[in-house]
Amino acid sequence: MKLQKETAQKITRDIIISLFIYALPVVLMFLTFYITGEKPWDKKENIAVQSEIKNNNR
Amino acid sequence: MIKFVESIFQNLSLWGLPVIMIITGVIEFGLGLYENKWNKNERILDIVCFVIPKVVIRPAMVYFTLLALPVLLPGFKGIFSWVPFFWGFFIIAVADDLTQYWYHRLHHQLPWLWRFHRTHHSAPYMGMAMASRQNLLYTIFFSQIYLTAALTHLGLGYAALFVTGLKSLITTAAHSSIKWDKPFYAKRWLHPVAWVLERLISTPATHHAHHADTNEDGVGHYKGNFGNMFFIWDIIFGTGIITRKYPASYGYKEYKQEEWYAQFLWPIFKSKKEGSELSANGPVVADELPENADLTFKTESLTPAAI
Repeated sequence: MKLQKETAQKITRDIIISLFIYALPVVLMFLTFYITGEKPWDKKENIAVQSEIKNNNR
Repeated sequence: MIKFVESIFQNLSLWGLPVIMIITGVIEFGLGLYENKWNKNERILDIVCFVIPKVVIRPAMVYFTLLALPVLLPGFKGIFSWVPFFWGFFIIAVADDLTQYWYHRLHHQLPWLWRFHRTHHSAPYMGMAMASRQNLLYTIFFSQIYLTAALTHLGLGYAALFVTGLKSLITTAAHSSIKWDKPFYAKRWLHPVAWVLERLISTPATHHAHHADTNEDGVGHYKGNFGNMFFIWDIIFGTGIITRKYPASYGYKEYKQEEWYAQFLWPIFKSKKEGSELSANGPVVADELPENADLTFKTESLTPAAI
């Protein structure tokens, strides 16, 4: 039994659509950050720098 | 409260889910939901498929993944740990379940992959006993496990804990012979909830349709309804039908009661049953139903009252 041409075409089309769906949550997240002005990655860097300073002072 | 919910999901991923599955399986068996179809060959296969992956395969896979990821993604450990929980949950839920949709769909639509997934469809019954019933290679190459492990390595592990727990509950409940969704169709005031549920997640009705042994009764749809946690992928790609009825019979018409070891370990072990897809010279796919007619999203199976 061979893969039908129409099925193969639908698989290809749907995989391309899936790539956009995979990206959607990431795009929506950054769009929200852009609108609200949030920069959660900065917070993480600050925490990392603060804990490094603490460690150096010990 | 958050700590309490967190501990529930932590225990669920460690021992909770297997215990829930065993208790539910015992209840199903006690209620006679296996309809005397659980013969010795099926029993051994179901128990081997339940135990071996949990005791040997999964721990080994996790161990090697933990060793491999720092080598494959050096310096990337935890780089996305700043991602807020809500977004981490959303990212993992889509990435994990959409990948599993594709893994599952390709095993049905690419003829050379079918025999790796056939074991999951051979059971002539539904229930906890066959929720984990898979060929060993299908389990080992379960692609979304590696993707989720990689995202955990990158810092999304906390969100992954909740997604995988929730997903396990939804998918095992969809396989159960206890039809938990029935009240949502029976009570008119619950129809709006049913309408949302059956489009968002896999329910016993839609997933049982995927395990039906025929497509001809307007209920069964074994060449569609590929969604696992989310049903929405089947709606987007036109591979699903939504039904509020349950198939009259389950399994696979070409099933020849192949030996449990051939079903679990094909192609390492082959079946001795003549003409079987799992035998040495058997057909790749014995069932030649054309797929074209199935690949559109349909709702014919809904009763007029249900729409």
